[in-house]
Amino acid sequence: MSKVLPDLSDALADAVASAAGGLVRVEGRDRLPATGIVWDAEGLIVTSHHVLERDENINVGFQDGESAEAELLGRDPSTDLALLRTSRRGLDTPTWAEPEGLRVGHLALALGRPGANVRATMGIISALGKAWRTSAGGPVDRYLQTDTVMYPGFSGGPLVDAQGRFVGLNTSALLRGVSITVPAPTLDRVIRDLQKHGSVRRAYLGVGAQPTKLPDAVAKELGQETGLLLVSVETGSAAEEGGLFLGDTLVTLGESHLRHMDDLFNALDGDRIGIPITVRVLRGGELIELTVSPVSHP
Amino acid sequence: MMTTLLPQLNFDLGELADRVRKSLVQVTVERSGAGSGVVFAGDGLVVTNAHVVSGNRRRPPGSGLRVTLPDGAVTAAELLAKDDDLDVALLKIGPGEGKLPELHPIEMGDSRALRPGQWVMAMGHPWGVAGAAAGGIVIGAGPDLPEAPGAAKDWIAVDLALRPGHSGGPLVDHRGRLIGISTMMAGLEVGMAVPVHVIEEFVARVLAAGDAAAAEDDTVLV
Repeated sequence: MSKVLPDLSDALADAVASAAGGLVRVEGRDRLPATGIVWDAEGLIVTSHHVLERDENINVGFQDGESAEAELLGRDPSTDLALLRTSRRGLDTPTWAEPEGLRVGHLALALGRPGANVRATMGIISALGKAWRTSAGGPVDRYLQTDTVMYPGFSGGPLVDAQGRFVGLNTSALLRGVSITVPAPTLDRVIRDLQKHGSVRRAYLGVGAQPTKLPDAVAKELGQETGLLLVSVETGSAAEEGGLFLGDTLVTLGESHLRHMDDLFNALDGDRIGIPITVRVLRGGELIELTVSPVSHP
Repeated sequence: MMTTLLPQLNFDLGELADRVRKSLVQVTVERSGAGSGVVFAGDGLVVTNAHVVSGNRRRPPGSGLRVTLPDGAVTAAELLAKDDDLDVALLKIGPGEGKLPELHPIEMGDSRALRPGQWVMAMGHPWGVAGAAAGGIVIGAGPDLPEAPGAAKDWIAVDLALRPGHSGGPLVDHRGRLIGISTMMAGLEVGMAVPVHVIEEFVARVLAAGDAAAAEDDTVLV
């Protein structure tokens, strides 16, 4: 027998041990506690939104056995993330991997701390893909799926690479039956918003829409095959104030062409809130321009 | 660029399975299925799960026990003791009519020194497939595992799929040393094993006796 298997075994256990300080236990629900990741040395902890079933009386347990009360700074259900602050300072912050280094087939470990000690499961990177949007509309910078087992209480814990570097945050709530990791750039962005506003700000029009094919002449003129047919307009909404009607087909918002629902989601980022913007609409066969002022997503 | 690392790893895994298979036995109970077991000592001691050798209403525990040795020889076995709470049983295989073949007791490991992430392999007869291996890592060990059956009991949770027929078989570390006995599943993808230190204490207790001490703690001497 060579030294490869013993070395692999030691390296995996070393990776777990080196990552352990960056994992905390998060007690925010009645049943089994879950896991969180130390975000900075100032006491910030990132975890999964769905494991916090209450907003108060949340406790965090650290590697050294100490625990502390945590304040909930904010949640983003759309990406299943939440941000906590504890009074604990000087915690070990994890080392993060460069996302470009990941390849399908690489070994990866899912870690958790549902009890006093860190726990690990192993798998490989199953799929890497482009940016995607969760069913709740949350933008995620990269699709990252593994075949690691999400042991009870692992949600909110990290996916780590073979060197024990953190890759992202694992959650079992974004897609059923699949281990999904929210990558570091998404954590960065969401945490910045949660720190500043307590939520992820998204602009809101108050419409329901679905993609629909545009008449040939209009499609040719605009250079797009589809637009978004309004199937509902909320009373008193930004859309109604701006003069949008049920049955209108949205074709552009500002500079953005609206071909699919994603285009509308992407066009309604937080910076648009309260700022009038031109919307082009197909109504009765005519293209008209209106002005809407999106509000903050309720 | 491909290196020779993976071929070497595969070679090591093959060697490991071959080595452990020498200590792996199949335990069958007349008309009620089979499990796995491991040769614990050269004088014919075999360890398995208590639930593998449990009797039923028509038959007392221990009757109709057969052990299939790694070379295919089938021998009768006697149930020395079992502990349903620990789910451990100690068997002694008898020479029967013929001579007992040479036995290869498994090397003992240290289940108190397990680290989450370290490599483990379970061997057994899942679904009756003889001498099958399953590989994974230690999720965690000790009494504070979430959803572990039996409060405050020591378990090893492993990231590999145990199946019917694995029960009683050896869970080994990367050097083929026994660290536990595969016992049950917790969900489809998590295996639970009784740590070897629990088994060693049980065996010591049984062997120290025939006396009253061994009959304590739910240990049934038969």
